[in-house]
Order: sequence, then structure tokens, then C-alpha cells
Amino acid sequence: MVSVLKRSLAIITLLIIGYWLAQGLAGVPFGQDRMLVGKYYLENVKAQTGAVNAVTAIVVNYRGFDTLGEVTVLFIASTGVGALLWRRKKKRTAKTEGSVVLRTGSELLFPFILMFGTYIFIHGHLTPGGGFPGGATIATAFLILYMAFVDYEIPHRLFEPLEGLAGMGYVLVGLIGLAIGSYFLFDWIWQTWHWGAANLGRLFSGGFIPVIYTLIGLKVGTELSGIVDSMLTEEVRE
Amino acid sequence: MNGQYASLLVALPLISAFFVPLIKGLGGRAIKYYLTLITALQAGVAAWVFKTVYTTGKPIIVMAGGWRPPVGIDLYIGHFAALFVLIVALVSFFMAIFSFDSVSTEPTDKYAMLFLLLMLGATGMIATGDIFNLFVFMEITSITAYALTAYNKTGEAAEAAMKYIVLGGIGSSFFLIGIALIYGSTGTLNMAQLAQLAGSINPTVIKVGLSLLVFGLAVEAELFPLNAWAPDAYQAAPHPVTAMFSAFVVKAGLYALARLVYLFSHAAGWDFILKLLVIMATLTVFAAEFSALRQRDVKRMIAYSSISQVGLIALALSVGSQLGVQAGVFHMINHAVVKTLLFLTVGYVGVKVGGTGIENFSGLGRKMPLTAFALTVGALAAVGIPLFNIFWSKVWIIIASIEQGYAWEAGVVLAASVVEAVYYLRLIHTMWFGGWDGIRIRESLPLGTIALFLVLLILAIGVYPNPFWTLAKSAGTDIFNVSRYIANVPLMGVGP
Repeated sequence: MVSVLKRSLAIITLLIIGYWLAQGLAGVPFGQDRMLVGKYYLENVKAQTGAVNAVTAIVVNYRGFDTLGEVTVLFIASTGVGALLWRRKKKRTAKTEGSVVLRTGSELLFPFILMFGTYIFIHGHLTPGGGFPGGATIATAFLILYMAFVDYEIPHRLFEPLEGLAGMGYVLVGLIGLAIGSYFLFDWIWQTWHWGAANLGRLFSGGFIPVIYTLIGLKVGTELSGIVDSMLTEEVRE
Repeated sequence: MNGQYASLLVALPLISAFFVPLIKGLGGRAIKYYLTLITALQAGVAAWVFKTVYTTGKPIIVMAGGWRPPVGIDLYIGHFAALFVLIVALVSFFMAIFSFDSVSTEPTDKYAMLFLLLMLGATGMIATGDIFNLFVFMEITSITAYALTAYNKTGEAAEAAMKYIVLGGIGSSFFLIGIALIYGSTGTLNMAQLAQLAGSINPTVIKVGLSLLVFGLAVEAELFPLNAWAPDAYQAAPHPVTAMFSAFVVKAGLYALARLVYLFSHAAGWDFILKLLVIMATLTVFAAEFSALRQRDVKRMIAYSSISQVGLIALALSVGSQLGVQAGVFHMINHAVVKTLLFLTVGYVGVKVGGTGIENFSGLGRKMPLTAFALTVGALAAVGIPLFNIFWSKVWIIIASIEQGYAWEAGVVLAASVVEAVYYLRLIHTMWFGGWDGIRIRESLPLGTIALFLVLLILAIGVYPNPFWTLAKSAGTDIFNVSRYIANVPLMGVGP
């Protein structure tokens, strides 16, 4: 009886909140020209950032500070998982090997998946994608290796320092901007050095966007692989 | 030096946290020294920023990427932010020193990273001038807080962190929907420009959007009914982390709440939001004080006491007058000092005696005289006895709420103080008149120094409140005076 009462109370509360939210949504003028900053970005993106992909330019250049924060959020997630699943000695304890198809396929595809992931983050300023999906693609290559082989482990000695170095690299790019252009995360490659001005729309353009996206790609790739590793290894007692 | 160097407040902890994986081979002790060094450097940068802002009287506007707001993201380091960034850095520095004695759980390198990022998140929340950037820093703060809550890897810690994650996740999504609604109807994310446009937003949208933001932040700001995670998390987290939660993580949430609410003070339906906040704040004080009374664990009891004080701050911030905001900021400063001292001493007892249950405090006056003395001063200050710092901020809060016609709420606060006195005096009685097992424990010199420094600060504010009240007044005006906030941000003219 109590549970029915409780449940109906919950449903009524949900309905009231839902109605209220819908009221709010109904008042938002969708489809109208409300692009205060959006319009500015579209009109100035090529000249100011050298990127033909406006979304990337906003994410990495105009609002690069947010992206630095998002990179940090992922770093925290990986560090947190690492801290909570920490054991003095960890080993893989999987019992069943992957099938022949999976094992052969993973070995054959591994370099190509890595290459594709790299392609995505290097071309972030030209095509959809960027450092986050590129890094996630790279992590899937390692995930497949984990699934195919019972004793595979990522090279920890390489990955953990690389993750830290990539993050430091991002902040350093920002600090160099502070030193050269006197603003943190200032795009010194494009706005001070004017590199790639003749190359608009090709690989060597976009100022510091490809540099940052490469760092993010490496960071996200090593981070997600690290999370997979933390979750797939278990404590062993000597 | 160029004001843009204030961006080091964010860059320094970040690059230092990323550096930790490279030195993890040096061992736990070296990493703790490193942590102390970085927090000291951060305190240095924060002190420079504080000095610059208070001598020039002008806020520092950091423009990330060199883009003028609202195209780019700006950090607004005004009188409030400069003061609280300094408090964040100092408390972190003290707690980094406390970590030597109190954190022995492995892996220390991850602890150091999360510690630095918690400091970074709170700093960013206080400094940012962009509403979406506020969300990003809120995520940084809360996700580090989840991980640090569970850091001790006990069953209780896992349960507390789980509670915190669920509530925090709901809060964050509320906040994000609120941002989406407001962005959808204004087309900008910059706080100063939002304040300019506040009057033109559809009244229903702003009411819904602002309530979503308030509920989202109420989780971090520990307001009733979204604070159920707090006592568990405070109790389960490592002792230095608990002190940081109470001293600045919750303050960052409260500040963000107050900043957003006052930015929209020209919006239709603003009074509705204020009334909602006053009710939530009063219930927070009431519920927390009565829960504190029943606790047998001192750390948990102080956690409840901290929540009730937070409710008091929220009440002051939401009465809607300049005096109220100033009193709230004054109480924030006092609360940060007192709760750092209380959690430091209680945590130290927990480490040395082996637990924070009330029975461990029996005879503490003879077992650890210095710690017991500091704890006593902290407890008396928390109750709000004259000559201690919290007395003054409580008086101002009560004056401000009566002035705005919230006499009934002021009565609740007074009644709560009586309840608070009961359980703090019980603790003091146990410490000085409880049975002593004859053991004398050597107290650490650095921690004793920190505790004495905080004790002296409490007494200094208690005896000479005026300089600190002036400080709080200018910081409070920074939140309340929205037109000055808008005028200080060099908005570029993008418009329809």
C-alpha cells in the first residue's frame, strides 16, 4: 500500500516537473535568429583562426579554455579509476582466448585503426572529428587486443608518462601563448607567426589547432586505454 | 607584471598535476613534498593577484586566447575572487602539509593529482566569467571530489561516493539544461552579457532556467534537500580532503549560486527564486543542526555543523540586500577559517588516537593539550560566542535578515545556535573533564603551528573585526553590484 502511494507521489511529482520544463522549453525561441556570438564566429573564423572547420575553431581556439577543462575532466576520470582500482600487484586474469577470427583480425587491423585514429585528430581543423574521437579510436585498437589475447597488457611504462606529457604539452602551448602574445592559450602560430596562411583548407594550416589536437589525441588514447587496463586487470597475491 | 599572468592560477595546478606521473617513481614522501611546494607556489600567485586587485581596486580580466568576451572566455578576478582564490590556495597549502601525517593509503601519486585538481576546480569556479566554463569547472571539482571521497577504499567510502555521484550527476544535468535554456533564449554564455540581457528573457523561461541552475548548484552548495550526500562524504573522505570540502569546495558552489542569482536580478520572477532559496537555506540550517545533535562521531557531527553554517551563508546571500551579501561573504571567510581548524584538529586526533568517535576525545585536554586547545577555540568560535570571529558574521546576518523582513528566519538561526552550543559544549566537556587513560601523545610541530595560526586568526577577527569586515564588504559588493560587474567586463559589440 505504502509503495503504491510512494510510487504515485513520485509519478505526480515527475509530471509536475515535466510540465514545468515543457513550459520553459516552449518559451525558448527556437529557429529564430538568436546567434549573437555564433554569427561572429562564422564570419571571422577563417581569417582569425585559419581553420575551415568552424566547430573545431570554436572548440579549440575561441573557447579553448573550456576544452582544456574537458581534457582535465577526462584526466580526472582516468586518475580516479586508477586510484580506486589500485592494487599493489595487478595481472590479467582472463581465461578464454579470443577466437581465431578475432585474434588474426586484431593483429591485422591494429596498425590501420591506429592510423585512422591519427588521421582523425591530425585533420581536426579540416574535417569533423578531432582529438577526442581520434583518441577514442586509438583506444579501441588496444581494447581489441585486450579482447583477443588473455595476457596482453598495454606498455604502462610508456603510456602513463605519455599521458602526463601530452597534458603538460597542452598547458605549455597555452603558456607559450602567454609569453608571446601575452594571453593564455593565445594562438601564436597563426596570429603572430602567420604560419600556413597560404595553405588555408590544407593540412598545414589552422594555427595551433593541429598541435593541440595531436596532444589531445595522444592523451585521450592513452587515458582510455589506461581505464580499460585498470578495469581488466585484477589483484594477484604473492 | 601583466594582469594576464593571473591565468597562472589555473595553469600552474594543471601543469603540476600532469607532471606527477613522471615523478611517481620517487615515492610517496617526495610526491607529498612536491604537493606542498606547488600549493605554496599557488598561494604565492594568489597573494600577488590579491595584492594587485586590492591595491588598484580594479578587477583583473583574464581573456583566454586573447579573445574579448563574449567571443572568448574571460576570467573575472574581482574583489571576491581575489580573496577566495587566496583562501583556496592557503587552505590547500595547509592541507598538503597535513597530508604527510594523515594520508597513508596508496597510490599517493593519484592522491596528489586529485588534490591539485580539486584546488584547480574550486579556483576556476570562483574566477570564471562564463557560464559554460563555470559548468566545466564544476565538473572538475565534483568529479575529483567523488574520487577523493572514495579514496580510502573502505565500504563506507564507496557508498558515500556512490551517493555523491548520483546526486552530483543529477545536479550537473539540471545545471546543463538550465544553461541550454538560457543560451537558447539569449544566444550568449558570457555572464556579463547575460546580465545585460536578463530583462529581455521570457519570464517563464528565466524562471525555469534559473531554478534549474539553482537546483544544480544546490548539490555542490549542500542545500536542503540535495545535501544528503554531504555527511557521508565528509566522514568517509581522507581528513585533509574533508577540510577542503568544507573550507572551499562548498564555498565555490555558494559563490556560483549567489553570482548567478544576482546577475539575473533584473529578470522577471527574480523574487520567486530568492524566496525559494531562503526557504531552502532555512531548512538546511534547521535539519542539519538537529541531525548534528544526535551524532556520536565527532567528524560527522562537525560535518553537520558545517552544513548548517552553509545554510546560514545561503540565507544571508539570498535575503536580497547588499548588507546580506556582505554578511554572507564575511561568514564564508570565518567559516573557512574555523572549519579548517576543526577538521584539522579532529582529523589529527583521528590519526593519532585511531578514530573520531566521541569516546576517543575523552581526556584529550591532557593527552594532546595543544590540539585540544585549538579544537576548543574552534568549537567556541563555531557556536558564535563574542570575542570569536563567527559572532560578528552571525550578528550581521541576523541584522540583514531582519532588515529585509525575514524575522522568522532569523529566529530559526538563533534557535539553531542554541542547539549548536549544546553539542559543541558536550564535546568540550568530554575533552577537558572526561576520563584520561594516562597516555601523552607528542604533537607535530608543523601542524601545531598551523593550528595556532588559525587560532590567532580567529581571535584577531573576533577582537578586531573591522579590517576583515571591510574586506568582506568590498568582496560582497563585488557580487551584489551587477552594474559594476557589467561595466568592468570589456564586452565587444556583437549583436543582432
